[in-house]
Amino acid sequence: MEAYIIKGYRSAVGKAKKGGFKNYRSDDLSVEVIKYLMASVPEIDPKSVDDVIVGCANPEGEQGLQVGRLISARALGKEVPGITINRYCASGLEAISQAVSKINAGFGHIYIAGGAESMSMIPFAGYKLAPSYKANLENLNYHVGMGATAEAVAGKYNISREAADKFSYDSHMKAASAIDGGKFKDQIVPIEIEEVFVADGKRKTKTHTVAVDEGVRRETSLEGLAKLRPAFKIGGTVTAGNASQTSDGAAFTLVVSEEMVKQLNLKPIARMAGCAVGGVEPLYMGIGPCVAIPKVLKQAGLSLKDIQQTELNEAFGAQALAVIQEAGLDPETVNVNGGAIALGHPLGCTGAKLTIQLLDEMQRRKQRYGMVTACVGGGQGIAGVFERL
Amino acid sequence: MKYRLKKVAVLGSGVMGSGIACHLANIGLEVLMLDIIPRDLEGDKLKDPTLRNSIVNSALQNSIRSKPAPLYHKSFASRISTGNFEDDFEKISDADWIIEVVVERLDIKQQIFEKVDNNRKNNSLVTSNTSSIPMHLLSEGRSDNFKAHFCGTHFFNPPRYLRLLEVIPTSDTLESVINFFMEFGKVNLGKETVLCKDTPAFIGNRIGVMSATEMTILTKKYSFTVEEVDVLTGSLIGRPPTATFRLQDLVGLDTGDNVSRFVMDNVENDTYINKIKKLPEPKFMRFLLDNKFLGNKSGKGFYEKTKKKDANGKTIINVLNLETLEYKPAVKPRLEIVKTAKGMELLDKRLQFLVDGDSKEHQFFKDYFGALFAYSAARIPEISDQYFPLDDAMRTGYVWEYGPFEYWDLIGFEKGIALVEALGESLPKWVHDLKASGAQSFYKYENGKKHYFNIQTKKFEVLPGKDAFIILDSYRAQKSIIKNSECTVHDIGDGVLCLEFTSKSNSIGEGIGRGIDEAIRLAEEGDWKGIVIGNNAKQFSVGANLMNVGMMAMQKQFDPLDKMVDDFQQINMRIRTSKIPVVVATQGYVFGGGCEIAMHCDAGVYAAESYIGLVEVGVGLLPGGGGTKEFAVRASDDFFEGDVQSPTLVNYFKTIATAAVSTSAHQAFDLNYLKEGRDIVSVNTPMNIGKAKDKVLLLAKNYIAPSVREDIEVLGRGGMSVLYSAINEFRLGEYMSDYDVEIARKIAYVICGGDLTSSQKVSEQYLLDIERENFMSLLGNQKTLDRIQYLLMNNKPLRN
Repeated sequence: MEAYIIKGYRSAVGKAKKGGFKNYRSDDLSVEVIKYLMASVPEIDPKSVDDVIVGCANPEGEQGLQVGRLISARALGKEVPGITINRYCASGLEAISQAVSKINAGFGHIYIAGGAESMSMIPFAGYKLAPSYKANLENLNYHVGMGATAEAVAGKYNISREAADKFSYDSHMKAASAIDGGKFKDQIVPIEIEEVFVADGKRKTKTHTVAVDEGVRRETSLEGLAKLRPAFKIGGTVTAGNASQTSDGAAFTLVVSEEMVKQLNLKPIARMAGCAVGGVEPLYMGIGPCVAIPKVLKQAGLSLKDIQQTELNEAFGAQALAVIQEAGLDPETVNVNGGAIALGHPLGCTGAKLTIQLLDEMQRRKQRYGMVTACVGGGQGIAGVFERL
Repeated sequence: MKYRLKKVAVLGSGVMGSGIACHLANIGLEVLMLDIIPRDLEGDKLKDPTLRNSIVNSALQNSIRSKPAPLYHKSFASRISTGNFEDDFEKISDADWIIEVVVERLDIKQQIFEKVDNNRKNNSLVTSNTSSIPMHLLSEGRSDNFKAHFCGTHFFNPPRYLRLLEVIPTSDTLESVINFFMEFGKVNLGKETVLCKDTPAFIGNRIGVMSATEMTILTKKYSFTVEEVDVLTGSLIGRPPTATFRLQDLVGLDTGDNVSRFVMDNVENDTYINKIKKLPEPKFMRFLLDNKFLGNKSGKGFYEKTKKKDANGKTIINVLNLETLEYKPAVKPRLEIVKTAKGMELLDKRLQFLVDGDSKEHQFFKDYFGALFAYSAARIPEISDQYFPLDDAMRTGYVWEYGPFEYWDLIGFEKGIALVEALGESLPKWVHDLKASGAQSFYKYENGKKHYFNIQTKKFEVLPGKDAFIILDSYRAQKSIIKNSECTVHDIGDGVLCLEFTSKSNSIGEGIGRGIDEAIRLAEEGDWKGIVIGNNAKQFSVGANLMNVGMMAMQKQFDPLDKMVDDFQQINMRIRTSKIPVVVATQGYVFGGGCEIAMHCDAGVYAAESYIGLVEVGVGLLPGGGGTKEFAVRASDDFFEGDVQSPTLVNYFKTIATAAVSTSAHQAFDLNYLKEGRDIVSVNTPMNIGKAKDKVLLLAKNYIAPSVREDIEVLGRGGMSVLYSAINEFRLGEYMSDYDVEIARKIAYVICGGDLTSSQKVSEQYLLDIERENFMSLLGNQKTLDRIQYLLMNNKPLRN
């Protein structure tokens, strides 16, 4: 049975450890976003949701203990089940594709799918780094750090420091103008946060609202970027300035079966025309989209020229450039509103967040086909194609 | 009146102000630093508190970021608060000490002191760091209470590192205030405090100006090149490697010129300066100053660091030809006299050789030392009532190994007199008095104390203010308890022994091992309370005797080597488990084997300026004297119930695998070389042995010998895999070579207890065995031998 995306909302993306969500848990954030999403579709009884699929890249600590289940219970009621899934940086997109697949298979009719991540609270590689001894004897790069993979990709595909810095600069400029143009306003759920803290020896409270993506550095310049030191390799390409930012955020979509759309008279915005994943050598994980893109196009029966817009997750400037170059993407149609270098990359949330951004922009531009693609740590790529309705 | 300091206000945030503020924070004081509001603020900006404090805040940040670091530990910056002269001046009202470090202008300083007088609490101390304005002018017009509590406290730049603190009282300064600063400066600030008179440039810079001027004159007189003089006047004669011209480039030629001009214009009855003033200024000095070639800060001075590289990839350094005034690539001088002198280990023999001959190099030294002795002797009592403060000042303010009168003693009393007389100079009466007393030196040791000739009483007396110091030179005359070619064991009183390393650079060899073993046995069997391992050398120890290890490995004498490593491990275990307390006292380099000894002691008193590191990786080895084992022990002790362990393991591993060296004793806690609750930091370096002795006495009261440990939790394969991943990152980033990876993996093996399938508790001896095994296997690798050989020949590590 055909599945449709009815709507999607996201939180703003906060800067990890210093932004508005630094003390705000990703499960609390998810509950807010999902409640808002459901309130916008009054036709659906929240208790009728078949499952809540939550993508999360580091499901431990504050987002451990079956965070998906806790989110579903708190947002929709204890009758509604929930699951945490993890395909690292692809988790949010994977969640949507699973919802679509379940509907296609006839397992259910109404799904909430997306992702959430607090990088403020959970260390990048989790609390306990514990790679397998046997795996490390086979291939040390199964557990390689992401910065090192970006350097490897930059080296293999001849991406220069200057090109990576320029890409980063453009990402910031595009993102700044998108924010100024109010392009994300309608997709962001403003989150009101009350904080209790001690200052000057006194207990104080303050409330503030987070409603705007925080990562953009408007004052950045090519000269400033050029001054930063390589972070992962002597004489390397990757710096703090041309890599994605660590972030906090949550994003969810509502995916409904054709039957239910008709029954409730809902207005779908898009359908997922295909979603594919593929594997590559872990050291070159950044190039992952290049194996996923041909697969998904074949599935959807499309060719690259049919794709009018792409959201390519900018894990690293050098990595994104390598993908654009190797996959033959038209740079003009990629990340038209900036990417993760400027807007942040809340790992498990990213795939869902990019989908929401893509669908909004396709609507604005009246485009038919668009694609979300990302590289995945451990050596994978994902690509999903959406058709606007 | 007893003065106790808790809060200090520093007025002025320039290089000196910020440096002083940082050092005061280093010792734990609460510091308030104020400076002016930027003059160009107007309109709304004038109201912005951030902008109003921008001068002081950016100065402090620049200082904290500068190298060498002004703070012992980054976190100490939180002890410094900032403000500006207009909004925050009343905050000085609860300061116990207010130190002025503003621009060197009398009118401005007087304005500041007027404000200080109006805001300070009664009896708070007020000092100036001026180097050029007479103290009595600064306190003119101030209240009586101000005047009574005012004096000069002159720090040297950088304040953390240069140990001289000149204390300059006025005639109004209370005796108790002078005594307080002399004592506080020494004990709490770690300085050598030197009592000065209110004479131009005080002591350090007065002698420093003369010395630098004389060097310049003699360079010209004997037609030496810049490079030649720097080779002659650096480490060869116990001076810093910056020697003469490099030092001028470092300080800044304009700064140096200002100080010497100030001295020239202000001194009275100084025959040397009067003579110099009549000489034409050297044309190269005018050339450099006119062209603003002021040294390192302007890119060139006597030397010029070019951007070009030579065939070997080394940066080409140009040097000024003093005759043609052109910059040409520097050439390494090949002077026969230098080669011969360097062969003489003992500085007294070397100096005696340098002033005994007729070559122009010999003449240069004869003239220089003759002039230095004559000038210094003639300054008593003008700049100091006694002569020893001049030696203290030059040693600590200019980092000479010896002050003028100590050089004189090394060269020989009579010979020194002859050098002075050869220049047609006469000696003041006090030197004749000294000679008449029958003495043949300026200093002598008696009963473990250093004595000087008091020129008022005309008698040798104990140097004042040294009670808290244990200077091992003082014990040379008394019979040592144990003595071999590498160490000496002294009886330092109260039942405590001190084992002093005496080998070259205090490297650890078989003699030190034997000495430690004998000393412990003697102490355990006899009536001794415990042992201090410490020395007064610049470097506590550079580590194992690498020459010896390298030679044996090259000759493939692996069995004796294995025995030697085993012995060293056992010595360290003996230290750890002996029945008497053993406390280490360190300063300077605490490297390799020296660090391993220190880590096995019951406690340590580490001078703040201790640079501690297990640096074995640099020569292709791992710490093999129990150092790697000790890191496994300490990591295990840090694990706790429910701990995920890998971050702790990675931390410990990184310290050894990257051969991390601490930039201060405080920072060594972060690197896990030092342990809270066991080790303490001494701000004053020469007091460390005395404090270590106190610690021995304290521990001895109820001492129980620690047992050999059997309960060390090691992580086996799980841990190794974590470390393999970490090593892979280093390799991919090219921070490690392939051979570094091999060494790092061996360290990983040892620190994880080997490739055990799960975590387990093991004994110290098991860890020592695998440590030794892996150490030996590295020694069998040609790449390690290449590293050792390269380090010995080039004094820097080889990356292969």
